[in-house]
Amino acid sequence: MFLTPEIIAIYILDIIFLVFASFAFIISIMIVKKWDINSTSELQYSLEKRAILVATIIKYIFILKLPLFIFFVFTADKISGVITGAMCAAGVVNSISFGLWLFVFKILNLFIFGFWIALHVKDMQDEKLSFTKLKFSIFIVAFVLLVVEIFYEISFFSSLDVDKIVSCCGTLFSVASSSSFSLIFNIPNNVIITTFYLIFALLVFFSFLKKELPFLVINVIFFIVSLLSLILFFGTYIYELPTHHCPYCFLQREYYYVGYLLYITLFIGTFSGISGSILRMLRADYKKIFYKTSLIFNSLYVAIVTAYPIIFYIKNGVWL
Amino acid sequence: MNHFLIGFAISSLFRRGAKSFFTIFIFTSLIFLLSSILFISNSIKEELFITLKSLPQITVQKLQAGRHTNIEISKIDKLLKLNGVQSAIPRIWGYYYFEKAGVNFSIVGIDSFDKQYKKSFEAIVKDVDFDELYKNNSMIVGEGVDKVLRENYYQGVFNFIKPDGELKKIKIASTFKSATALESNDIILMPKDLVLEIFGMNKNEVTDIVLEIANPEEIPTIAKKIKNLFPDSKVITNSDLRVSYQNIFDYKSGMFLALFIISAFTFFMIVYDKASGLSSEEKREIGILKALGWKIDDVLKAKFYEAFVVSFISFLVGVMLALFFVYTLQAPLLKDIFIGYSRLKPVFDLPFAFDFQTLFLLFFLTIPIYIAAIIIPSWRVASMNADEVMR
Repeated sequence: MFLTPEIIAIYILDIIFLVFASFAFIISIMIVKKWDINSTSELQYSLEKRAILVATIIKYIFILKLPLFIFFVFTADKISGVITGAMCAAGVVNSISFGLWLFVFKILNLFIFGFWIALHVKDMQDEKLSFTKLKFSIFIVAFVLLVVEIFYEISFFSSLDVDKIVSCCGTLFSVASSSSFSLIFNIPNNVIITTFYLIFALLVFFSFLKKELPFLVINVIFFIVSLLSLILFFGTYIYELPTHHCPYCFLQREYYYVGYLLYITLFIGTFSGISGSILRMLRADYKKIFYKTSLIFNSLYVAIVTAYPIIFYIKNGVWL
Repeated sequence: MNHFLIGFAISSLFRRGAKSFFTIFIFTSLIFLLSSILFISNSIKEELFITLKSLPQITVQKLQAGRHTNIEISKIDKLLKLNGVQSAIPRIWGYYYFEKAGVNFSIVGIDSFDKQYKKSFEAIVKDVDFDELYKNNSMIVGEGVDKVLRENYYQGVFNFIKPDGELKKIKIASTFKSATALESNDIILMPKDLVLEIFGMNKNEVTDIVLEIANPEEIPTIAKKIKNLFPDSKVITNSDLRVSYQNIFDYKSGMFLALFIISAFTFFMIVYDKASGLSSEEKREIGILKALGWKIDDVLKAKFYEAFVVSFISFLVGVMLALFFVYTLQAPLLKDIFIGYSRLKPVFDLPFAFDFQTLFLLFFLTIPIYIAAIIIPSWRVASMNADEVMR
């Protein structure tokens, strides 16, 4: 275990989140059990007030979680200088057996908390507050996930070992690797590129068609395929190196921090698509603007990743 | 975003001038203290990394019973045979404790025919004839050393005590000043044979051997080979040094932060207390607002804008003050935490080092704590019943 200022900051925030989320959790259980909008009892009145407290707490957590996620990656990057063998965040994250799970939970929680806030905004515009029970049920699940994430995060940092030699991203993300990543390298390049652009074409198509369910599904698939194609194909053009497949290294200065831009646009694009579709399925009067937001950011993402191979081809006259 | 609400928040801060000033004052000093510490630690790390570039790529030492001892000079030939090793320079150096002043001098042996492993020494060696120095029993000292000797009435000469108890009188030929004060303030340069005599060392032994490697990429491989060749040796590469520097400074600022948590928690309590203890005036104000038709959300928003303004001002002022304190005033008092204790403490300037990561870190360590402290009190205030407070 080591004691860098960054890790202490993350610990402090984790503890604050845990305390406040526990408050919110208890109130949520009460609301889910006792909420009755037609009642005029003292209890209902106080529950309505407390619902606002819970919403405030969740907003607070989510707003901090967004930059904190970037900060977490930044910290992992910085620690990679100390851990033997690690050259970027990949080595640090994979030095602990559940490192990858921590990442998965972090991303999942961002999606869920973001969706919760979108639902909350919609709920507050509704005179009957008809989503209140639903949104607090969702929070109960989200709380469990948050606790798991925080638990993972604290044990992640406390079990980092400076003396242990870890693999660097070059070996983790390669065909020869024995990790679960190596499986995806069996997919040939042309298949993944075709799938990627095909899915994107479908996404554009459905966004003009404005059908919620297919749009939701296509956004989820697009998110996964984008990550896969980024690792398998587009990453190599960012590094201009056919053997380097790491999804973390382009977060570093050498690549002008382009990774942050990529991940943020992809997140906004797919998140607004997914949450918007769900909300519109719940209530038909939800504004259709999310189709546009999702389309713009997803297209932006596609434009950036596409630019890399094309610029490479123009400069060098060959493909990698 | 409603700019009227922001305006309302700012004017309500002014209305309770003393109270908001108090909060801003405490918050600013906390941020100031924290950012000063982080800036100093960044800056010293920067200075050390600059020095690190001039340090040898590989240092080979000999271990005996787990301790560092002198290494045989004959090993140099074997080291030079390794592929990729450009040069191997034997070093003779050590510390001499001057009891009267309670300081340690670093004595470095120089041989004018050897290649110098440090650029700063090269310039000195060029100007000075070390054979001449050996004949005259004299040495060259750093400015700090000269000052200490003068204070102890040694004018131009110093008596070293050899291990067998005899005195060795050495004259001071000249003093020198180096670019980085951190490394050269306590240094004495003299011919190798004199150093051997003062330390009572064997002629065919040296303190350690430094290697120059043609291709930096090969350093880890060569280090491994040396370890296999001489199992009793300790091989230190420059990246080992970098890692340990980073660890030391992260640890030091980490320790400070652990202490800082206590004050941050106290601050949390003060803010919590301040925010929940409302005067009847304020209660009436909120009652009127709610009677005018403000929702709980609106009052909460106004409260958050207030908190935002307070933390923004404090953050800005705190960081600015810290920048001024650390880089213009050179951080009096606080710098000592990092430099450590030594009577020959060198005077040096903190180089300017500033990155966004530190700002990010400062942000996460301060503002969320403040906002967290006001969530529950603000909600309490905002959800009071209008009729109850106006009564």
